[in-house]
Amino acid sequence: MKAKRMNFTEVKLKKVLADVFKIEVTSVNEDTSVDTVERWDSLNHLNLILALESEFDVSFSEEQSVEIMNYPLIKMVLLEHGVKFQ
Amino acid sequence: MINDDVLNAIARVRVEPTYVAYSALANLAETAGEQGFEPYRIAVLRNFTIEPLIPVIKGEAVRLGLAPDVYIADFDAIAESVLNSSSQLYKHKPDIILLAQWAETVSPLLMAKFLTISKEQVEKEVTRIVDTMESWLRAIRSNCGAPVLVNNFPLPNIVTLGILDYQSESHQLHTVLMLNNALLKMSKNFSDVYWVDILSLFARVGYATAVDERNWQAARAPISKHALLPLGLEYAKFIRALRGKTRKCLVLDCDNTLWGGVVGEDGLDGIKLGNTHPGSSFVAFQQECLNLYNRGVILALCSKNNEADVFEVFQKHPGSVLKEHHFTAWQINWDDKATNLTRIAEKLNIGIDSLVFVDDSAFECDWVRKQLPQVEVVNLTKEIHHYRKELMLSGYFDSLTFSSEDKKRSQMYVSDNQRKQLLKTASSFEDYLNGLGLQAEIGRPDKSDVPRVSQLTQKTNQFNVTTRRYTEGEIERFMASDDAEVYFLKLSDRVSDLGLIGVAIVQYKYGVADVDSLMMSCRALGRGAEETLMSLIYKRAKHRGCKKLVGTYLKSKKNALVADFYSKHDFKLVEESPEGTKWEHSIESQMVKDYPKWIAVKETDVY
Repeated sequence: MKAKRMNFTEVKLKKVLADVFKIEVTSVNEDTSVDTVERWDSLNHLNLILALESEFDVSFSEEQSVEIMNYPLIKMVLLEHGVKFQ
Repeated sequence: MINDDVLNAIARVRVEPTYVAYSALANLAETAGEQGFEPYRIAVLRNFTIEPLIPVIKGEAVRLGLAPDVYIADFDAIAESVLNSSSQLYKHKPDIILLAQWAETVSPLLMAKFLTISKEQVEKEVTRIVDTMESWLRAIRSNCGAPVLVNNFPLPNIVTLGILDYQSESHQLHTVLMLNNALLKMSKNFSDVYWVDILSLFARVGYATAVDERNWQAARAPISKHALLPLGLEYAKFIRALRGKTRKCLVLDCDNTLWGGVVGEDGLDGIKLGNTHPGSSFVAFQQECLNLYNRGVILALCSKNNEADVFEVFQKHPGSVLKEHHFTAWQINWDDKATNLTRIAEKLNIGIDSLVFVDDSAFECDWVRKQLPQVEVVNLTKEIHHYRKELMLSGYFDSLTFSSEDKKRSQMYVSDNQRKQLLKTASSFEDYLNGLGLQAEIGRPDKSDVPRVSQLTQKTNQFNVTTRRYTEGEIERFMASDDAEVYFLKLSDRVSDLGLIGVAIVQYKYGVADVDSLMMSCRALGRGAEETLMSLIYKRAKHRGCKKLVGTYLKSKKNALVADFYSKHDFKLVEESPEGTKWEHSIESQMVKDYPKWIAVKETDVY
């Protein structure tokens, strides 16, 4: 049950990135970042913030919204907001 | 063949209308274009960062069957875009222009710096904003005819005078309201300018949460995650209305939708419907349905029930706001609801994609969504007090005109049932037509007819030879032109007055009368009105000294009905392509059919 849940949240997060940046879900991994995704520019970053906040029902601080420039950092910030991945 | 990705993404936003789902759908806009969705060119002028809103607008456009191509002008570059006739804006050849403005950018003086200016300066500032906007609209209108969506300004979140502010008419809140009113009034001088009411929308979303101060400061992007979907969808409602995608018929389930409980089991006295809770929520919901009926929406029933039990409620229950005569069609039986919805559409002679189906059962809603993806489905939640809101939120029936025909339409469908009774008793069809006492009025529309004429071009899908959609402004331009004429046809019989149900637009050039558009509301077909309109076109062409009548048939998904219209009127086929056919009729040699004998035709302003 626990393993399934981890998968679910992780997949949900990957799907947000995939849908916002028009990339394959399977291509999203720990290396996914502003440097590896073509469409990840400053305007789409704004869309990403709003998409993450809507999907996980959280509100990032100004600092967090600026620092989430790669997949591990997004996960970390979501963890800080109580979203469970384990 | 439409790509599964696009269909799946559309199905996803139907069930799960989230920002992420819209983003995914918006990213398939190009694919939709390759699959034959209608191209739709959107130009956006703005003085704030509107980008986060775009996926919602684009996604909803794809859901409406369009392939949006969006051009966004540089930040705060509205004046440059509209005043320069060779700007990117006009090069984009937009079908619609979004002119989106944010009060803080438009006028820092009226917002944060309100206390630093005098009453006279306030008035000067309001005049400046109105004049600027007027010059922009004038520039747009002299360069292109696309409809323009502008927006009013929401109230400031922080009023500089605090509780004192509201006490005087010259303070800040009143100033913003006054500015909105002045802009609205000024815009009435222009055709096809429509207002997106952000003021009310923010009130519904909640002022405290509608603005994202963080993104405003960081990126001048004020729309918060709470307001993104409602506002994006609000813009899209205008696109739906302008592209003739407004839904026509509301199909309602009965048990636990129009009343609480199951009438077949609980009985007439046992169902919940009345002034006290929880019956009051159902009364409120019925009232909302009745309001739609009064707006011209056709009401129908689709319920797994005994017909007699259901009608007993409408006839006898004192709490029922809806009465038997409000419903034009019904399928009350135990067949599956997709089949029944198809029957309802057939009976009403409208497309499946004109229906909105409302049911409290997730099972029924799911089934209909899968079987009939063209039907929009509203799955009411368990919370009965939300029913009203859930029905009205989507704006499926929203339109930009409200004509006297709308008020009468639902009644007309009901009298159609009486007409069919008459047909049963007549001995031959011609006998029946003679007995109807048909009267037609044909001629050139005047200004008061323009909204209805435009509306017909927007809404008519089946009996429409070219399916060209025109705004009121475009219709007025045809009417004013020496090279074009617009004709209307109004029809009535002894059962009812159908109102203005036929429109034709003809362009005259080099001795040729070219039929640009010809359409008729489906409920008027088969009585000779089509022939009457065609005869009028022929007579006018002859009167203007034309040698030739030219007709075009442009294929759409829905207008197969008129594929042979011109051949029936003795036109000769001169050209055939995948898009459609071209036809000619020589005016000197033959006569198009005259007005049918059974219609008393009155010509108004024809010559």
